[in-house]
Amino acid sequence: MKDGNIEQKLQSEAKALLESGKVDYIIGFEAGSLKFTTTPLITNNIADIDRLVINPFIVNNLSVYLTEVKGRVGIVVKGCDSRSIVTLIQDKQVAREDVVILGVPCPGIIDLSKVERLVGKDRDELDDITRDGDRVVITVDGNETEFPTAEVLFDNCLGCEFPTPKEYDVLLDEFSPLVAGKAASQESLEKLKGMTPEQRWEFWKNEFSRCIRCYACRNICPACFCERCFVEESEPQWISPVPRWQDNLMFQIIRNIHVAGRCTDCGECERACPVNIPLRSLTKEMYDIVDDLFGFKAGMDKEAAPLLTAYALEEAEDFIR
Amino acid sequence: MASSNKKINKKDIGKLLNEWSQEFTVFVPSRETGTATMAKWDGKDTSFLDWYRNTVVSPKANILPPMEEMFHFQKDKEGYHIELPPLDGHKQLIFGIRPCDANALAILDMTFNDSYEDPYYLSKRNNTILIGLGCTNPYDSCFCTSLGSSPTDATNVDLMLTDIGDEFLIEAITDKGKELMANISLAEEATEADEAKAKEAREAAYNKVTRQLDIKNIDEKLLASFDNQDYWEKIAAKCISCGICTLLCPTCYCFDINDELLKGQGARFRSLDSCSFPVYTKMPMENPRLEKWRRVRNKVCHKYEFYPMNFDVIACTGCGRCIRLCPVNWDITQTLDIVPAKA
Repeated sequence: MKDGNIEQKLQSEAKALLESGKVDYIIGFEAGSLKFTTTPLITNNIADIDRLVINPFIVNNLSVYLTEVKGRVGIVVKGCDSRSIVTLIQDKQVAREDVVILGVPCPGIIDLSKVERLVGKDRDELDDITRDGDRVVITVDGNETEFPTAEVLFDNCLGCEFPTPKEYDVLLDEFSPLVAGKAASQESLEKLKGMTPEQRWEFWKNEFSRCIRCYACRNICPACFCERCFVEESEPQWISPVPRWQDNLMFQIIRNIHVAGRCTDCGECERACPVNIPLRSLTKEMYDIVDDLFGFKAGMDKEAAPLLTAYALEEAEDFIR
Repeated sequence: MASSNKKINKKDIGKLLNEWSQEFTVFVPSRETGTATMAKWDGKDTSFLDWYRNTVVSPKANILPPMEEMFHFQKDKEGYHIELPPLDGHKQLIFGIRPCDANALAILDMTFNDSYEDPYYLSKRNNTILIGLGCTNPYDSCFCTSLGSSPTDATNVDLMLTDIGDEFLIEAITDKGKELMANISLAEEATEADEAKAKEAREAAYNKVTRQLDIKNIDEKLLASFDNQDYWEKIAAKCISCGICTLLCPTCYCFDINDELLKGQGARFRSLDSCSFPVYTKMPMENPRLEKWRRVRNKVCHKYEFYPMNFDVIACTGCGRCIRLCPVNWDITQTLDIVPAKA
């Protein structure tokens, strides 16, 4: 189905949900204020529903708002976002009956940074970006150039295992096929794994030297739902608020461990980072480790116990029993 | 009448920067660290002339760094002994600062050079030379023209460069700038034709700023809407309370102070803080800005209402970083567009 038709279907579903009182709020995407951007639309007003869009730039993982918006919510989600909702249900942050999930089978989201590198122009200097299946046409100064879609999708989209939402109430389109880009999605990670520990340490030292401690990576992340984050503790003080690279790195490592088993590789931490720290190289490695060690992928089954926070009387190890 | 301005060929910029390096630590736009900042000139790379539109981290960082040691101390039986570090007074020259960021430093001066004179800030500020570089290609998020400025505004720099093709026109704005200009060995006198080209370039750049914001009576409108919770809740709904817009804003200056003590030795640091964070206003009994809408309101009003009250100037220069870098596309111009005229 074309994006326009999905949009129409979404708008009529959303309207019906608000009209019938089945939900109090709709969380979706509307056109952003900059070229090729969308922005979250959180509304209880039926008049706003016509503004809902679906296009290749719906980057945000909107489930981050679920722990905050009061009442019952109809929410637009892609595959990875739907898994974030499932983890929130598993962690008892969200009740399944309080959300109506409007699922978008996702063909992958366009990474504007990749587009910029590909054409050597900033996003606001481009005339147009259109996607037609596995081809993308980028127009600069009136000249059209065609590229394979796989060259401009986010790394996490290239490696996406479940583009169609696992959990939904309404599916807005047919199932979406996988994008063939597994190898490309792991490229930056493989490069890091090829380094010696000393080289890797040097690499991360450089990366985290420019961290400004804005916490966008944490705040954009649906898995980071703690009301009080460890970085804000002062007794004891786990992390210095002074943004030295060592503390910046420790913050990110601890955050990464805290989201293990909850991270769905939606890639939002890396996208949100204003100073381009390749955070997904950490979270994706953790995602793979969780899968290897426990055979666990986050957000696949809302009935399953959460990976690291569940406790059973029959635990094998004495120390936990 | 001959122009009192000069000009320099773009290919001589490297030599010029090397000349200046004799006297100053020279900073230029750089992507070496992985993001665009003002970084120490390496003595050769002038490729920024091709890609530079503006830096992600503003030159505020050269004057009010993200973290700074205020003093160190030792603790023994007699108590604490405080040792002040020498104030950082090295002479720095920032090449290519954009008008919005230079104007922002003038706004910061009002706070740091007020009844309290901040020695840490002023020691750097008073030893900094600003070489402005007019924009030729503003971002779609830029809105400096709505704030009484322009992409080629020379008000708050020492020396201003305007792109006139193969050359830059050089104007001396301050006495320090005049002294510098007199000593540039590679500069030539600018002709009337050069001045005409510069005028054209200024107009062209001005017209390229398309984002518009109506600031008429904005402080009064904000004052009237201060208690309009509905408006602020709506405005704040999608904000994720991260610190990008504030920490990277060239006019935001809030900082936090922390003491670090280890084995009898320690130091007091100050580092940038953000009113977007709930802990910013956390106090023993309560937090007056626990709700997000109160924090968003503070951010907007500080710039467009409180600063005008205190210093008669809006604390925003339209650099657009907060719009460009926001991960949810929260846009201050949209927020201000719909401030209710009456509450």
